[in-house]
Amino acid sequence: MSGNEYEFTIKRKDDHGKVSYSDYSVPKDRISTVFEGLLYIKENLDQTLSMRYSCTMEICGSCAVEVNGKPKMACSTIASSLKTDKIRVEPIRHFDVIKDLVVDLDSFFDKYRKGLPYIIREDYGDYSSELLQTPEQFQKYEQYSMCIKCGLCMAACPIVGTDEDYLGPASLTAVLRYNLDSRDEGGKYRLEAIGTEEGTSRCHYAGECSEVCPKGVDPSSAIQKLRWQVFKHEISGLIRGRRK
Amino acid sequence: MTEHKASIISWFRFDRKGLGFFAYSMHRFSGVVIVFYLYLHYAVLSNLLRGQATFDAVVRAAAYGPYGIFIVMDVLLTVVIFYHGANGVRLMLNEMGLGLAHHKALFFVLEAGAMALMLLFLYYAWQAVLSGSGL
Ligand code: SF4
Ligand code: FES
Repeated sequence: MSGNEYEFTIKRKDDHGKVSYSDYSVPKDRISTVFEGLLYIKENLDQTLSMRYSCTMEICGSCAVEVNGKPKMACSTIASSLKTDKIRVEPIRHFDVIKDLVVDLDSFFDKYRKGLPYIIREDYGDYSSELLQTPEQFQKYEQYSMCIKCGLCMAACPIVGTDEDYLGPASLTAVLRYNLDSRDEGGKYRLEAIGTEEGTSRCHYAGECSEVCPKGVDPSSAIQKLRWQVFKHEISGLIRGRRK
Repeated sequence: MTEHKASIISWFRFDRKGLGFFAYSMHRFSGVVIVFYLYLHYAVLSNLLRGQATFDAVVRAAAYGPYGIFIVMDVLLTVVIFYHGANGVRLMLNEMGLGLAHHKALFFVLEAGAMALMLLFLYYAWQAVLSGSGL
């Protein structure tokens, strides 16, 4: 930690799929975050480096990478907090790499959509007055609504890594977020959609998702709560005798 | 996610992974070992169908097998069962929303308790083996 430069090692993948590692020295006084380090490299040392970013302030969820082996947002990871001059940046796991640090998030959003992550109304939105919500009602799902869809939890989840069909922490958290929304009436459709083998029952409470989530969403607790919702839904379905 | 096709090998890639990953992988692995043992147990028991003498011979071979290999395997099986049981208790508690925020501490406490119980069990089991009453 004594030198004037950070030693960045970046995992690369070219257009032909060839994987390699590139090393760069970045002056400490020119950067604060890992993202700034990557941008410094791109602007000054190697324009061929590909990375994804937009907001640079942990809002858009674009810059998820693995920093020294841990899934992190590049833009909110302070380089000096890593307590080392050697910074290894790799694409997040469990996703196909398009180029360098850019991964294909299609599979993530496909799964996300399966949970019907939007307000569903029995009146199909044909309501006469505004749907009001008290602060207490908002607080019920506020934490889960903070998700920025960065995919870090998917990269950290060991089940996603061993079962590619598992819906994963972010998608399931979104289900709970809408199920807890007082304006929503679509809970039963969502529980039907995710009450499958690849839904909540796959979770093994490894807790890695909650640990890496940059927004404190705590997907692990969301899945726990959702599991009870699914359980109650299944039981009431059995009692009513209309099991699938 | 085709590049990252799931495989059992990935259960054992512990490098740069957290404790949650370890707990998950070992729970699965120990579960597989227990199921394997269950069927092995049935296979040994099925020797009863061939008569008492055959069964006794198989059990003796299992107990005193070459280099005491079966004793070693029994000890390993004990480790696996106690590990699986303790983590299973954690999962049940987590399922009810208990200790989810401190799942790592819960894991350590339960596993430490289980390993202490296991040592106690092994001690008495070994005494029984030495006295001959356990065979
Ligand atoms: S739950 Fe957290 S880690 Fe997962 S996608 Fe949302 S913000 Fe990212
Ligand atoms: S660039 Fe938007 S979250 Fe990092």
